[in-house]
Amino acid sequence: MSKPKIAIFDFACCEGCQLQIVNLEEELLDLLGGADVVEWREAMSEKCDEYDIAIIEGSITRLEDEERLKLIRSRAKILIALGACATIGGINKLKNNFDDLDEVKKCVYGKDANKPHLATQPTKAVDEVVQVDAYVHGCPIDRKEFTYIMRCLLMGKEPEIPEYPVCVECKAKGNPCLWEYGQVCLGPIIRAGCGARCPSNGFRCFGCRGYIDNPNVDAAKDVIDKFGLNIDDLKTKMVLFGSRQEPTIHG
Amino acid sequence: MSVKKIAKKDFVEFVETLIRKERVFGVQAKGDRFDFAPLESAQDLRLDYDVTLQPPKKFFQPPAEVLMTFEVGGGYQSQYDDEPFVLLGVHPYDMVAINQMDELFSQDNYDTHYMTRRNNATIVACDVAKPSENVFASSMGTAVVKSGYDVLLTDIGDSYVCEAATEKGEKLMAAAKKAVPADDAALKSREAVWAKNKKGLNRHELKCDPAYLPKLLAKAYKHPVWEERAKTCFSCGSCNQVCPTCYCFNVQDDVNWDMKTGKRERAWDGCLLDGFTKVAGEHEFRKQRADRFRHRIYRKGMYVPEKIGGQIACVGCGRCVAACLPDIANPVAVYNRLIDDLGIG
Repeated sequence: MSKPKIAIFDFACCEGCQLQIVNLEEELLDLLGGADVVEWREAMSEKCDEYDIAIIEGSITRLEDEERLKLIRSRAKILIALGACATIGGINKLKNNFDDLDEVKKCVYGKDANKPHLATQPTKAVDEVVQVDAYVHGCPIDRKEFTYIMRCLLMGKEPEIPEYPVCVECKAKGNPCLWEYGQVCLGPIIRAGCGARCPSNGFRCFGCRGYIDNPNVDAAKDVIDKFGLNIDDLKTKMVLFGSRQEPTIHG
Repeated sequence: MSVKKIAKKDFVEFVETLIRKERVFGVQAKGDRFDFAPLESAQDLRLDYDVTLQPPKKFFQPPAEVLMTFEVGGGYQSQYDDEPFVLLGVHPYDMVAINQMDELFSQDNYDTHYMTRRNNATIVACDVAKPSENVFASSMGTAVVKSGYDVLLTDIGDSYVCEAATEKGEKLMAAAKKAVPADDAALKSREAVWAKNKKGLNRHELKCDPAYLPKLLAKAYKHPVWEERAKTCFSCGSCNQVCPTCYCFNVQDDVNWDMKTGKRERAWDGCLLDGFTKVAGEHEFRKQRADRFRHRIYRKGMYVPEKIGGQIACVGCGRCVAACLPDIANPVAVYNRLIDDLGIG
């Protein structure tokens, strides 16, 4: 049996998640032993239209990108969304909070705003355009989780991605709760799998892995009251990675 | 077995010698809290702590552990952690929890992984010197402990009373050269600490004898309290994670890059978590938050007691009360509410 062919493509992103793959170092050789990487702009010059697994990094912000993504989807047996931009739209979705996207464009690009390659649309996560078979969450991705997911897929097995929030991993690490130290941590509503990396280093959870499947926003409102904060304190923290994702806090 | 007395400064010296000989974990400050951690200096040991962030269960059932390595379609090799260690400073309620876990992990399918660690442990318990903000051990009858430990320390001011309860404990204390047999005054002081703790570790007061809880729960399954409280439950499982008697786990296989060899790991799980009851075919039999919230309370007050001779599986450490952000996890608040509504008897 020949090795499966992998192609890695980037859309609107900082390419930091691909960099995490480059940073696998020794394990990168394991990955290359188990699969043939046939296209990967950040790491090689070859291109190829035949592949089994497509890894998509970045969010989708232009019509031409939607078309390109659909073409990739039609060629790939398995499509993986890599990193927060791809899985949830990520920071790029911040612009969706503005009603007038032309204004946003002018603000960002100035006199170049009308150049054709900058004809951007509201940001979409990959699964808002095509079907996604596996998600590698995070900003950036966790290298260990990425290699676990790749091994599962190469084995033909569905990877187990946590449905529970970051608090689980945070408590397992023996961390005191950052809420008790005045931080508005998103841990209780954000998907685990990062090993509670930020809270373990004293920073609140920023929410880069996206909401759990069934977050309890009512509880979040109660907790806000308990700590004498107002709803905007929470909303401003949710906006970075959580813009225009469900659930949105109203009121 | 012997009961001795050792001056605090001599005790520090004794712990120093112990650290040089053995693998020792002890209670230490972690920021403005406390936790068990590898002990490198006797000066770091804080037997005056109120409560640790995590219960000591992690030394017997770690958050994640490899059970075995295997070859796909071939053999397997069980993995055991069998290095002896000393655990310093286990509070009575946590000791009671360990005793319960010992029963649970040694009945039915004897759990060799847990029991190997347990049998390699020497536990030095210590009576509570300072009650934590949420402790209710007095209500649960776990403020003092009579078994399970190898040594029990009681702070009586300028010295500790140390009771060696097992051969292991005697051996450990033999290194405390400056310990002397405990005199009557010391034993009386220890009695006084016990008497004080039996009443004083009670920040939340249960309105019934804990032995009544299974009967109370037998008539509470459809009570509105489950829905009411679970409405603001994050399903974050913090109550499970910090509980000294929550022992549920999940087992997963991870195959190496060669696609031939791999390892089987188990990790803590929690009955409050969405997906905890998901089985083949995506069926999930406790899909609602309220069902899962109720389940934890029933585990502590009814289901686990049925497996361990009626002992209530909530030991009153109060960690879940502290860990629950929306303040709904407090078992005493739930039980008292049920007592108010359903009465006793």
